[in-house]
Amino acid sequence: MYRRIMHNPELLKGTLQTIILKLLEDHGRMYGYEITQKVKELSAGKLVLTEGALYPTLHKLEAEGLLVTERESFGKRVRKYYKLTETGRSSVLTKVNEFEAFIRTMFHVLQIQPQL
Amino acid sequence: MDLTEEHINYIIRDIHFRGIADEELGDELVDHVCSLVEERMKKGERFIEAYDSVIKSFGSDKGIHQLQQNSIEFSNNNTKLMFKNNLKIAFRNLSRYRFYTLINVTGLAVGIACCLLIVMFVNDELGYDRYHEKSSSIYRITRYALFNEQEFHFPVNPAPLAETVVNEIPEVEYAVRFRGQGSYLVSTKEDPETFKEKYIIFSDKDFFKVFSVPLLAGNPATALAEPQSVAISASTAKKYFGEKDPLHQTLLFNGEDEYNVTAVFEDMPAQGHIKFDFLLSMGSLEESKSTMWLSNNFYTYLLLKEGTDSKVVEQKLNRLAEKYVVPQMVEMIGKTVEEFEAAGNKLVFHLQPLTDIYLKSAFSFDIGINSDITYVYLFTAIALFILIIACINFMNLSTARSANRAKEVGVRKALGSFRSHLIRQFLIESILLSIMAFVLAIVLANTALPFFNSFSGKSLEIPYESPMFYVIILSSVLAIGTLAGIYPAFFLSSFKPANVLKGKSTRGFGGSVLRKGLVVFQFFISILLMIGTVAVYQQLRFIQNKKLGFEKEQVIMVSDAYMLGEQLRAFKEELRQLPQIASVSASSYIPISGYNRSDMTYWKEGKGPTQDNMINMQSWVVDHDYVKTMGMELIHGRNFERDIASDSTAVILNESAFKAHGLRWGENNVIKTFAYDFRRGQVIPDEYWTYRVIGVIEDFHFESMKLEIGSLGLMLGKNAGVVSVRINSDSFEQALTSIEGKWDKFAPHLSFNYRFLDDEFGNMYRAESRLAGIFSLFAGLAIFIGCLGLFALAAFMAEQRTKEIGIRKVLGASVGGIVLLLSKEFGKLIIVSFLVSAPLAWWSIREWLANYSYSVDLGLGVYFYAGLTALVIAWLTIGFQAVRAAKSDPVQSLRSE
Repeated sequence: MYRRIMHNPELLKGTLQTIILKLLEDHGRMYGYEITQKVKELSAGKLVLTEGALYPTLHKLEAEGLLVTERESFGKRVRKYYKLTETGRSSVLTKVNEFEAFIRTMFHVLQIQPQL
Repeated sequence: MDLTEEHINYIIRDIHFRGIADEELGDELVDHVCSLVEERMKKGERFIEAYDSVIKSFGSDKGIHQLQQNSIEFSNNNTKLMFKNNLKIAFRNLSRYRFYTLINVTGLAVGIACCLLIVMFVNDELGYDRYHEKSSSIYRITRYALFNEQEFHFPVNPAPLAETVVNEIPEVEYAVRFRGQGSYLVSTKEDPETFKEKYIIFSDKDFFKVFSVPLLAGNPATALAEPQSVAISASTAKKYFGEKDPLHQTLLFNGEDEYNVTAVFEDMPAQGHIKFDFLLSMGSLEESKSTMWLSNNFYTYLLLKEGTDSKVVEQKLNRLAEKYVVPQMVEMIGKTVEEFEAAGNKLVFHLQPLTDIYLKSAFSFDIGINSDITYVYLFTAIALFILIIACINFMNLSTARSANRAKEVGVRKALGSFRSHLIRQFLIESILLSIMAFVLAIVLANTALPFFNSFSGKSLEIPYESPMFYVIILSSVLAIGTLAGIYPAFFLSSFKPANVLKGKSTRGFGGSVLRKGLVVFQFFISILLMIGTVAVYQQLRFIQNKKLGFEKEQVIMVSDAYMLGEQLRAFKEELRQLPQIASVSASSYIPISGYNRSDMTYWKEGKGPTQDNMINMQSWVVDHDYVKTMGMELIHGRNFERDIASDSTAVILNESAFKAHGLRWGENNVIKTFAYDFRRGQVIPDEYWTYRVIGVIEDFHFESMKLEIGSLGLMLGKNAGVVSVRINSDSFEQALTSIEGKWDKFAPHLSFNYRFLDDEFGNMYRAESRLAGIFSLFAGLAIFIGCLGLFALAAFMAEQRTKEIGIRKVLGASVGGIVLLLSKEFGKLIIVSFLVSAPLAWWSIREWLANYSYSVDLGLGVYFYAGLTALVIAWLTIGFQAVRAAKSDPVQSLRSE
């Protein structure tokens, strides 16, 4: 596996939930491996979700009632798909807005100019 | 998917081998790993190499463990799940100690079922008369008089009072009088069949304006305005007229009085003290127009205007008494107002709220059948006691079991459990128990309800449709669960993990003093109830066996004999001829409370009618055979004789009257009274009647034994409400058939109604019988629940001491010795409870018996036997466990050491 410049995983911590929820809103149901692949694809390989961070977060969101799961088995393999619940769906926008506001604040605090 | 089955199996096994225990997570990880491996294999790597690097990218075993732990931790940090876990553990605990759970639930359920029934009963009692919309503004006038140091407390008042009150007190909107005349035989003109009707009363025309009794037909304003009108209940209308329109039909009362049906009202609810089927218009009664203030026959109810203070009306009422009653009284006894008052005489009116009448009336007679607030209090107290006993069981067992659970608490605390978590765990367990107990309790209450209804004379139903019921049940579940569980919860959660895990203080704990206290309390209540039961039964037996002064056995009383009119004499004569009959007497004055009574003031001839020599005396109108039929004993003189014409003005006094008049046998004893106009219900001024005393009879009880035997005189006269027949054989059936045959001959259209004198006597003490029933029922339940707890406690103690017992046996202790050892401690507790309860029982029984002028003398034996019974019952309970423990094989109990 060749690597390009990768973001520090510490930075990812606070945004993991937002990423998962947004992805599920856009793509309906997804399973764990699919999510890691999608993030890799969207970030052009700059963001890599580790399984150690992904699964606990998925389970937490499920326990909180934001996600539900569907199981599909083929042969010995069982695939678990995650899907937004009604509460999950309504929390996506808040999470994304919250994150946007956070970034703007960070620009001011760190005194950097966005180049968007 | 390029992986072969073999590869997948390898991955599954390896992942689990590396310590993934959570199945959900396991499945997910397998799929994830497979995908990653496939990705790599697409790039040309071999399976085993690909797998190896994937596992490394997970951070090997350590990383996988971390992942699993984080997932579990994250998803468990959630109250809903925590609660689920609590519940799961609670269920496991309860099913593991099934024996204790069963005892806990049963005890609590019996307690709650009792409580539920009692609450329903009390609720019903307290709800009387509240269906009237204006119930809070309706009052009844009662009267208290003190005259010649005799107290008179009556719910009835003079005829003119109602009208005067409405005219002179502006706060009074309406006044309604009632006057009962006993039962009537009622028929229609068309159908000769007659029915005996008890629920008949004369009422003023404003009845429907004051009381909320809706009319189905007729005009409420005019229904009772005219004389000879009657309003009847819907069910009565159906009974007499079927489908016909009852309005303007005629009803015959006692075969002669014609009344016109002017209205039909909805049947009055059972939850009211006024419950009648016939309301006759007051105008039909001559007596109601009387202007005399000294004869009191009318129940008088007032509707006050809204926002009126009843105290103000009461004051104004008493001014009316001074204005109208006192002058007439003074005129009659010939004294001035000042003298009258100086002698301590007085007359006070009170207003009794409508809603108080049913429970808080204590008059010797009343308009309807009343209950007593004491029963409500008593029932509530007993319900609370039983509930407390059941809760105590629960607490006792939970704290006792703490020894078994101490280790669990220790481990949980060592693993980082907070005290609040433990308290929650224990509370959830007790609430769960409480839910089970409530479900069982409702089933029990439902089963017991028919018995309870027949016992209490009510028709209660569990209000399954009412949402209030569920709210109350649910909050009680929580309240009882929390209350019963709170002590064990705090007690258990306070253990120090270091101590319990080292095995220190796993037995007894500080709770044992409290536990003993609670057992003492349980038995204190049980013994109290037991002594109460015995006392009430003893008093009942005393009443049944006391020499009454008349013979209550073997007397049949034939009702409605006045309907025979002129033929009564012939009827009596023919009865007398029957071989089974000893004697026959016609008089409605029967020595049973509730029968005809009339009293007048008498004085000894030669003295004027003054304060000091006027005696209030029952004057009973009887015939020549009365003394013989009732089996009364003459002490002096003779009975009335048919041949002596002057006996029509003779009197036979009872001992009390004889003494009260200050008479001496052998002198010329004559007493006098005011002449009285019975039709108008008034004294005739300046006219007197004199009576010669021809005999004295032994005092006999003619009221309940709560009252002293008062002065009484028998006079000759015609009064044929009841024909009493004394039977001389034991064959009641035969005698009854012959009497009925005679009745049918004389009155073919009338039904034959009869009662037995001793049954009627028994009815006087129905309240006492009911009390005895209640006491024995609840004493039994209290003991049952208490013993249930004791049984479990003993089982637990024996279990705790298994090893000790084993060692003792090995060292040569006998079975008897061990049984004694185990039961000694409980025996002490029972004795302590006895010592506490006996004085209290003694005091309460003395208070209760003080109600009776004639009461049983309870010896000390009662207390002794009650205590002994409790001891024996408790010992049998413990004994079973003790013997089982003592007989167990020491090898079994010591093997594990």
